[in-house]
Amino acid sequence: MPTNPEIMGQPSPDGILYWEPQLEPVVFEIRKMRKALHAGFHMFLGLLTVACFGLAAWSFVLHEKPADPFSLAYLFSGAAPVFWASLGLLMGCFFIFRIMAYGDQVVPMPTWGLTQTEILKREASESTVGRDISRHFSDAAWETIRFSYDLTHKTGKAELRPIHLFSSALSGPAGGIFMTRLGMDFEKVREGLINLVREGEAGEKPVLAEATKQVLVEAYLSAREFRRKAVGPIEIFLASYNADERLQDVLDAAGYPAAHVRHVANWVRLQEQLREEQSRFRMLARLKPDTAMNRSMTARQTPILDRFSEDLTRMARNGYIPPLIGREREMTELLRAVESGRRSVALVGEPGVGKSALVEGLARRMVEEDVPPELFDRRLVSVNVAQLIAAGDPGLAPQRLMSLLNEIAVSGNIILVMHGIESLVGAGGGGNLDLAEMLAAEVDKGYFLVIATITPQAWTGYIERRSLGTKLIKVTVGEPEPEDAIRILMARSGYIEYQNKVFFSFAALDKAVNLAGRYLREVRLPESALNIIKEAAVLAKREHGEQSLVTGEDVARVIQEKTNVPVEAITQDESSKLLNLEQRLHGRVIGQDEAVKAVAQAMRRARAEVREGRRPIANFLFMGPTGVGKTELSKALAAEYFGSEKMMIRLDMSEYQHPSAVSRIIGEPGDDRGGLLTEAVRKQPFTIVLLDELEKAHPDILTLFLQVMDDGRLTDGVGRTVDFTNVVLIATSNAGTQFIQDEVAKGTSIEQIKTGLMERELKGIFRPEFLNRFDAVIVFKPLTLDDVTQIAHLLMGSVAKRLTEKGIGFRAEDEAVEELAQAGFDPIFGARPLKRVIQDRVENALADILLRQGVNRKDTVVLKPGGEMIVEKYQG
Amino acid sequence: MSAAPLELTKFVLSETVGSVLRFPMWWYSDGLLRLAKWVVQQLNYRWRAYSFAIWIKNLFVPMYGQYDWSGRLVSFIMRIVVLVGRGIGLFFEAFAYLLLTFAYVLTPPLALIMAVYSLTLTLPFFG
Repeated sequence: MPTNPEIMGQPSPDGILYWEPQLEPVVFEIRKMRKALHAGFHMFLGLLTVACFGLAAWSFVLHEKPADPFSLAYLFSGAAPVFWASLGLLMGCFFIFRIMAYGDQVVPMPTWGLTQTEILKREASESTVGRDISRHFSDAAWETIRFSYDLTHKTGKAELRPIHLFSSALSGPAGGIFMTRLGMDFEKVREGLINLVREGEAGEKPVLAEATKQVLVEAYLSAREFRRKAVGPIEIFLASYNADERLQDVLDAAGYPAAHVRHVANWVRLQEQLREEQSRFRMLARLKPDTAMNRSMTARQTPILDRFSEDLTRMARNGYIPPLIGREREMTELLRAVESGRRSVALVGEPGVGKSALVEGLARRMVEEDVPPELFDRRLVSVNVAQLIAAGDPGLAPQRLMSLLNEIAVSGNIILVMHGIESLVGAGGGGNLDLAEMLAAEVDKGYFLVIATITPQAWTGYIERRSLGTKLIKVTVGEPEPEDAIRILMARSGYIEYQNKVFFSFAALDKAVNLAGRYLREVRLPESALNIIKEAAVLAKREHGEQSLVTGEDVARVIQEKTNVPVEAITQDESSKLLNLEQRLHGRVIGQDEAVKAVAQAMRRARAEVREGRRPIANFLFMGPTGVGKTELSKALAAEYFGSEKMMIRLDMSEYQHPSAVSRIIGEPGDDRGGLLTEAVRKQPFTIVLLDELEKAHPDILTLFLQVMDDGRLTDGVGRTVDFTNVVLIATSNAGTQFIQDEVAKGTSIEQIKTGLMERELKGIFRPEFLNRFDAVIVFKPLTLDDVTQIAHLLMGSVAKRLTEKGIGFRAEDEAVEELAQAGFDPIFGARPLKRVIQDRVENALADILLRQGVNRKDTVVLKPGGEMIVEKYQG
Repeated sequence: MSAAPLELTKFVLSETVGSVLRFPMWWYSDGLLRLAKWVVQQLNYRWRAYSFAIWIKNLFVPMYGQYDWSGRLVSFIMRIVVLVGRGIGLFFEAFAYLLLTFAYVLTPPLALIMAVYSLTLTLPFFG
């Protein structure tokens, strides 16, 4: 119990927690002195002890030897050696006492070194014995408190408040790591912190505020929760941050939101904790045998198994396997399945979610023997199934598998891990024998346990309905939540940092998880994000040298290079490009202001990331007569924003008039090549999908696009989900053209035409729920003569461009262009006839002139009214 | 920051001279308890390292997967021999710890008595 009855404690399983020491300069000075004082005193005592024994030996040698030095007579003769030796012994005992009782000031946390089960047992009981938590604070933590005391004293405040603790922790070494990781600019928060520190009443001798005592207790509890050896500065940092809302506001205003601060602080703590954990693990690992033989020596030589396998428990024992982060639910399920009567387990999960990590985590627990008795004193051995089948004569694969399983059964101490068991199905040398059936029969005998890993598609496709599927208990390993994925990255980042000699910022990990989760769906989190940060580390090292910081921008660049999706911060150049997108699109598309504006706005929304990320960037339906620029606008967008006209997946829906064509779009089950559309989007997620002449497709195929437009994804024939959230979906349709033309001729407004289309004309063609899913149905107006003239100018420009490549100039006089426009104008077919006219009158004539060799380089060809073409010779 | 010199002096004295008075009390309470805990821990570790529990559980399980009757017989005898051997090892270790504990308890008073006794008989410096 506290010596001061006024101190209130907080109940916990470790007893009533309270902070005993009064904070006074002398307390800190004594703590500091104590170390030096004891070191000196202990050395003095040690020397004294040695000196006593030395004197004993010296006087024994110098004096006359007794007949029997071990006789009682000699011992009680009062001889000098006996005296010195006795004194030496006494001093030695005193020395031991000093070292033991005064050696370490920091008492380890009561939970330190206990296993999870022991801690749970402790949790259940509530002790009423008082516990002075100050004894469990590490030297560094004490240093933090001392510094905060100085800060309070210097600023002349009466109370030491949590803000003082926080400022002090921030200026310590852990705070330094914290700021680097967070990418924190101290200057940004300096002013705010100083203001907070300066608040409060003035006073001479600072005392601990009640809130501060609570913070120290919280720091203790948090150290306990994370099984730390002692309370460190990072616990004080976190507890003081959590306690002060205004401090959180200051950091938030400077651009460091609370979630990030907590994440980074936890990261700093996690790395300290992993180091402590490693030493505990190493101690336990010594008890596990380093050979294939178990401790009860029932095992047997397993030569065939050894050839195709690796011993995971042995690897874990020798420190090659990193600890498992999170995944408590899956681990419990796995252990429960094993406990519930020796059943084998299948871990089902997408590639990259951490099935192997879970198995490796089990290996580590088996090394610690923190497992159910069924797994006690056993080895976890992982077999490469594909290698087993492929090695040697495929006809002998069943034989190899049988002998391997036989070895395991006889040896009796092996838990078998099989990655990718689906490769067993259908293998067996071409005969009727199926390896999966063989394994099922062996598993059924119950001589050994199997832990298999498999993807959900393979599980449903190959295993679930077979006898092997019924023998295995399915444990689903889901993709971790982004928060958990970040934690996993934090734990793994240490090794990558060490390898590449760089440091990760929090933004790098955060971006890696967010962007990989969104754009790299082939492999799931956390592996996808892990691969990205590995590459980003190499990139940062190459560009900025060793000891540099890997930033979020480095990660974004890696992702952008992989996917072509623009995820880097928007540059000045790009932002002006986006803001002027309408103008740039109008460089190719004449008129159709509404359509151009809608497209440009959608792109800006997408790039500024204000859109909802669960649907395609935009779903547009372009309606209107042929030749008015529907396809041209899509091409213009591809060229202007996606980099090239080719960045477009174009499906002519007239080719999909039969329901069976679905398989061409999404692929067929069992055919790994996938569908035309799904494969294209999978390889190029940031693109335009153009569905030309939509009304011609079979209604079943249109149904397929309902899901794309609504959820931004489509499952292909093989069962892979393809992400459509980064595509711009544009469908064009000529349906209702007559209606549009008639109404435009009548002078009806576009708005009314659109309503008419939606309510009457399109009803029989598209289902209402389909039309509803478009973000915008845009009606393209028929072209006027004026529009066609402008288009003619554009087309002349492109002719000139082609000739420039040959070194020849080209100019068309305005009147000539107008003549062309007149000839090519057709209200029904839009700009199409114009192209034919230009082909006939301009391109053919040009070809004649060029072939007749009447034109040299640097000459200029001029198109005159009446279709006449003259050559202006180069004048030098 | 300057601490009161009186308090510092008090602290230094209590930490050095004061500990002489604390020594006997600590030796037979906290110290003895720590020693006992350490001995239990050591024996526990040895028990686990010798894996007695596992060997006793597997007494009738043949070694090296030799499931024929001769294999079983040899294994059983072998296991008994190993268990007995390890048992003897553990016993000696425990005995050594017992001796150590005795030594721990007896050394300070005996050493003190011997030193004082020797001093009273002769002046050792000139003996």
